[in-house]
Parts: sequence; C-alpha cells; structure tokens
Amino acid sequence: MLKYVNTGVVFQEIPDEVTLAINISGCPCRCPGCHSQYLWEDIGLPLNTEAIDDFVSQYGNDITCIAFMGGDADPVSVNMLAQYIHEEHPQYKVAWYSGRIRIPAMVKKTDFDFIKIGPFIRHLGPLNKPTTNQRIYRKTPDGDFEDITERFWKKT
Amino acid sequence: MEIKNFTITKRDGSKDQFSLDKIMNAIVKAFESVEQPADLSTISKIISHLNMHDDIKVEDIQNQVEEALMREGFYKVAKSFILYRQEHTEDRETLEKMMFLSEYMESMNAATGSKYDANANVEHKNIATLIGELPKSNFIRLNRRLLTERIKKMYGKELADEYIEKLTHHFIYKNDETSLANYCASITMYPWLIGGTMSIGGNSTAPTNLKSYCGGFVNMVFMVSSMLSGACATPEFLMYMNYFIGKEFGLDYYNRADEVVDLSLKHRTLDKVITDYFEQIVYTLNQPTGARNYQAVFWNVAYYDKYYFQSIFGEFYFPDGSKPDWEGLSWLQKRFMKWFNKERTKTLLTFPVETMALLVDENGECKDKEWGDFTAEMYAEGHSFFTYMSDNADSLSSCCRLRNEITDNGFSYTLGAGGVSTGSKSVLTINLNRCIQYAVNHDIDYLEYLGGVIDLCHKVQTAYNENLKELQEHGMLPLFDAGYINISRQYLTIGINGLVEAAEFMGLKITPNDEYKKFVQGILGLIEKYNKQYRTKELMFNCEMIPAENVGVKHAKWDREDGYFVPRDCYNSYFYVVEDDSLSIIDKFKLHGAPYIEHLTGGSALHMNLEEHLSKEQYLQLLKVAAQEGCNYFTFNIPNTVCNDCGHIDKRYLHECPICKSKNVDYMTRIIGYLKRVSNFSQARQEEASRRYYAHAEK
Repeated sequence: MLKYVNTGVVFQEIPDEVTLAINISGCPCRCPGCHSQYLWEDIGLPLNTEAIDDFVSQYGNDITCIAFMGGDADPVSVNMLAQYIHEEHPQYKVAWYSGRIRIPAMVKKTDFDFIKIGPFIRHLGPLNKPTTNQRIYRKTPDGDFEDITERFWKKT
Repeated sequence: MEIKNFTITKRDGSKDQFSLDKIMNAIVKAFESVEQPADLSTISKIISHLNMHDDIKVEDIQNQVEEALMREGFYKVAKSFILYRQEHTEDRETLEKMMFLSEYMESMNAATGSKYDANANVEHKNIATLIGELPKSNFIRLNRRLLTERIKKMYGKELADEYIEKLTHHFIYKNDETSLANYCASITMYPWLIGGTMSIGGNSTAPTNLKSYCGGFVNMVFMVSSMLSGACATPEFLMYMNYFIGKEFGLDYYNRADEVVDLSLKHRTLDKVITDYFEQIVYTLNQPTGARNYQAVFWNVAYYDKYYFQSIFGEFYFPDGSKPDWEGLSWLQKRFMKWFNKERTKTLLTFPVETMALLVDENGECKDKEWGDFTAEMYAEGHSFFTYMSDNADSLSSCCRLRNEITDNGFSYTLGAGGVSTGSKSVLTINLNRCIQYAVNHDIDYLEYLGGVIDLCHKVQTAYNENLKELQEHGMLPLFDAGYINISRQYLTIGINGLVEAAEFMGLKITPNDEYKKFVQGILGLIEKYNKQYRTKELMFNCEMIPAENVGVKHAKWDREDGYFVPRDCYNSYFYVVEDDSLSIIDKFKLHGAPYIEHLTGGSALHMNLEEHLSKEQYLQLLKVAAQEGCNYFTFNIPNTVCNDCGHIDKRYLHECPICKSKNVDYMTRIIGYLKRVSNFSQARQEEASRRYYAHAEK
C-alpha cells in the first residue's frame, strides 16, 4: 500500500503548473546523497482514492497538477491513482517523479502528463544541472513524450 | 519637619540620600536672586512646611518649596524659584536632545536611529534627516494636547484621560503623531490641469504641453506631499500624460514610436522622448525632499484594465472636450511598466509604488484577457508591483493601503475626478494582542472589552476630524479647498496590529480553519459595526491591517516588558505567521481570502514571499487562485540582490554576485509596501526580513 508523509504546493518541479506534490514514503531507490532520506522508511498515511478526494476538496481549482513524488515500491498503485484522477477529476494534470531508470512495462505511461525518471547520482547532479542523468518528459497532444529537461537548466 | 535618614527619588529614577543642605541652598539662592535677605528663622519657617517621606520625588519637594514660599508671602522669591526650575527643565531637554544627537550619529542607519517614527524611506542619515528627527517629540506633545483639548470639549475630561491612559499603556497607538498634516490621499489632478498650482499656493499656470506637464507634475507632487504626512497617489498620471502626448504627436502616436521626432543632434525617437520624460519624473520624485525631512515623497500610481478604465474614467472630459483614449493609455501603461522594470536593474528606485487594477469574472478569469496576461508577464519578468482584483469595479485600491468604494461614495466628475480623490485622514491603531490578553487575564469577555476600546477610538477620531475641520475653516488645507481631495470622501482609519499574536494567545492554530476564521471575523466584524454606527454625512470610517513598519516592533517590545505573551519580536501584518514554513502558497491566499478580509475596508495587502520567480503560466494560475479565494490585494515578493561591491542589481535572490562573485550582497525587498534595501530597515525589521520564509519549490 502506498503511504505519504506530507504534501506541498510547488512550482519548480513541473514547469508552468501549480502543483500539489505528494511525498510518498517507502522509497526503495535509496540513492546515495538523497535529499529526502525521511521518505526511505515505511511511514505516513495511506495514499488511496479517498486521500486524493480529500486533496481535491481542499485545493479545488487552486492547483493545476498533482504530482506523485516517489512510489517506486508500488508503481501499479501509482498508475491506478493517476487513472483515477484523470477519470474523476479531469481538470488536473498528473505527474510522476520516479527514481527508476525506466518506467516498468505494466505502467501505462499515457496516464501521466509528466514523467520524471532517473535516480539521483551525486556527481551528475540533480535535474537543474546540465550534467544530470535525470530526465523529465511531457506528454504531447498526440500521446508522445517530449524531453523538457532543458527547461530546468536555464535558470541556474 | 522631622529630619530623618531617608532617600529621595531623582528624575532618572535613581535613589539618593536626602540632604537638607541642598534644599536650604536652593531656597537661599532664590532669595539672593531677588536681593531679599534670608535669615535662618525665615528659612526654617519655610522648611517647616515641607512634608518629607521616604522615596519622595525631587519634583514633589520642589512643588512643596514653591507652595511654602507663597504661603509665607514671599511671592517674588517663589516666582524666581519657579523660573529657575523652568530653566533647568529646558536645560535638561536640551541635554536630552544632545544625547539623542550623538546616539543618532552613532546608529547604524537612519531607521534604527529614529526615536519616534522610524521610517525606512530615508536612505542615509545626515544633517537634514537629523534636523527632521529633533522636533518630533514636540510634535507628539502638541498633537496630544490638541486632540485631548478637543476630546474634553466634546466628550468630557474623563474620556480625554482614558485616551491618554490607553495610549501611554500601549493599548492603542496613534500613527504619524510626529506630523501635523492629515495622512494620505489619492488625489485628482484635475484642478491642476485646469488652473495650475495657484490654488494650493504655487505660482505655475496650467500645463499646456507635454513638457510643461511633466515638469509641472513633479512640482505639483512635491507641493501636495508636503501637505500630507503619508502617501500621495496620482492615479491619473499616465492618463494625462497620454493626453498631452496625443495632443503633440497625434492620438495614434504609439504606432509611430520608432519615428525620429527630435531635430537636435540626438535624433531621438518618440519612444526615447517618452521614456526620457519617465526618467526625469521618476528620478526626481525618488530624490530626498527638503520639505519632508529628507524623505522621498511617497508616490503611488495605478494601472487599469479596460473595464476599470471605463468605470473610472468613462465620464471624464479633458479641458478641450475630448475623452481619454484607451488604446493610447493601454500602450503607455505597458511602456511605463517595462521601462520601470528595466530601470530598476540600474538603480534602486522605490517610487512609484504601482497597483494594477483588474476586473475578474465569477470564474476568477480576468475579464480583460490582454491585461491579465500582461500582469502575469510582468511578474514573470521580475517586476514587483501590487495587484488589486475585484469582481465588480466598485472599489479601487488607489493608494497603497486604501480601498475606496466608488459606488458607496457616489461617482462624479463635476468635482474633479470623483472616486479618485479619496484617502485616509488619520490612523488610530488598536494593539489587539494587548487588549485581548488584558481582558482575558481580568476575566472580561474580550469582545466586550474591545468594544469599549473601539468606541473610544471612534470618539477620538471624531475629535480629530473636528480639529481638521477647524484647520480647513482657517484656510490651512488648500488641497481640500482646491478640490485635489474631497474631505467627505476621506476616511478615518481604525488600524489593527497584533491580530495573529492574539489568536496564538487564545490557543488557535494560524491556518485556514473555522475557529481562527471565527475569531478574525468576530473582531473585524465588531470594528465594522462601530464604523457603520459612527458614520455620518461627514464621517466615514474604515479598518486596515496596518503595515506596522515600526509599530509592530514597538508593540512586541512594550508588551513583552509588561509581561504579556509575545511570540515574536515584530507583530505580523498578515493573517498568517510570516516565518511559518508549513503553510503553502495556497494556504496564504486562503488566509487573505474573502472570509478574512471582508471587514477590512481599509485593505490589507498580502505580500507573497517567493524565493524564485515563477513562469508566466504559473503567475496566471495564481491570479486565478487569488480571485477564487477572494484575496483582492497582493504582491509577489522575490528579494532582488544588490552587490555591495560592484553595484550589480539582479532580479533573483542570490547569495553571491553573478558578476564579481562577491558574497557581500544586500537585498531589496518589500517589507512594508515599499521596495527598499534591507539594510535601510530598522534593526528589528531587518531581523524579521531574515526570518521570513521565502517559499521555495526546489527539493
């Protein structure tokens, strides 16, 4: 079962969106130098459709996007929630920050509007360093994904 | 009189051994000064009248000596003694001023050095700012006297005493007590457009062309500001400028901005001519001003979307019978904002404070899409300005801290420019934290107790208004007489401070929750009830969460000294705790949303502190959030970085200069509405700025 520790309204993670980021615990990636080690443990509240509905009633149309930060221990559940949001709350875009190198085959990528992949590797740096190994993709209207990682580099 | 071993209390509060010799000496000297013989028996007789006790104050002993001299019939000696005391009082005051003078010179900046009414609006301390500081204490005494005399006449001595008691015990605070002038105003320049500055004591005739408009505008703002203690807003500034440009270069001038219109060797384009005038006006008005103790004038301007423009200037006619041209004004507003934003990367320019007025529909979308987009674009380009949003054009934020309800006031150009000529006559602030704690600690219902304080404030403000009327009757307020400001459209403002701290004392969580909301509405609703109750044809009241640039610090200090619960060194001027990093940006908009601000008719500006600039799309969404939550007045605040070594100004919040790599950097931020260098704020405010939480998004 997915659990989350906290949430935050963020701006830099997903370009041009006002995003509710849900920080999911039980992260199996355990990247050396991880900035969010508190998410390694299996702690927090259950992240299910009721929790999603609660966020929706709390934030309404103030946000434009919901992002799952992590959840690599149970990618199928993340996919399920993404589907749920698109069906029940179609006004939101859905994003996923995954630490895996690739998205598992059983996940339907088109259920997401943004996908970030790649573990944090210290000497290559995070998303906003041009040397990073991480990549972020945005779904295009025809269902393809375009690499928009470069947008994170301009500001540094 | 029995002579014992006891102590007396000196003026500075310290104790000293009682000495009969000193008293005798003083009496003998008084006799000698009027050349009257003083034998021992006379002196002992006088001393026998004195009633001494332990810890008696020097003042009391001297009072008794005065009375004893008179009782024995030595009137001439008594007079000499009284004069001698007066001279010493004056000496002591001069000595105090000299001490202040040396402390001021040693202080780190002008705001910290200022004793009475610190203002970050003074860049440097020097002989001119010092001259401004010295008479402040006299002004405070004079203002209190004028006001209490009037209160006595209108409501009796008891109320006058209660006012002073509440004031000296910091339950209430009288803003701008160091000035005689009424507070702030959004003026109409129509009287100037028609008749020049003669009617307010100047000697210039009406502007006739672009050059005389731009030159005369500066002088007019200086003159008006010297008759106000606070801000001067000129919401028609760009509209009139557009009129004069149009008259000189044709109404469609903006389509030909690249044309060379200057026959001098400079061959300037029309665009360059216009921006040169911007430069002349903005740089001149940011200069320290002689008449204002070397402060710059507090100059505010407004921008409008098409709908606001129509509702405010739809019935406006220029002296030549023409109406304002929206297309030209729209271009000129954009040109000014772009120019000003760019200019701010060259120089630290505080003024004008800008407010964008936008009309939104019921879904929170800007009705004028072009101007909604442009607003988001300017924020994304790093420009710092206020946005005022409303779903009906009934109100307008005209100066940085005032909402004026146009429909409420009637709207007519026959007197000038109607709803534009408004403002606040005077601000009297309630220290909510102290009032509520005092009530709770004394088992009094806090709303009942507050009711008494609020009622007092309304009576005091009414008395102030009578004094102002008297000034006007004697021709002392030409701004009113000449129609720059309409006195009946001026508010008397009840300020509030310490609201969040009082809520924390009541054990409430400062988040968007029902109990906190109820608490806020209970207090602000009560103030509004009194505002309505005291409203007459000539009296209008509003309520404002004051920026508390220095009051917030003072209240925290005084309340802490008197043993009250004080959770921080500077009381918040927001509905949320400024250093709380658990609140999201959305939460902060909610806490400045409709349920919280509905009774704040005098306005409160949400300063949304961000660490990094957002994209245009994100700002557009936040404009929508503000509209949806009913947060009608806000700004985004990203500290700009100023390098202290090479002078580079960067729109971003950086810890190192990107040009010379120096770590000796300072920041420009909006703490009290005005964008200033952090190092020019008073010490306590600088600490607040460093504790403030800048929401950052990067994980």
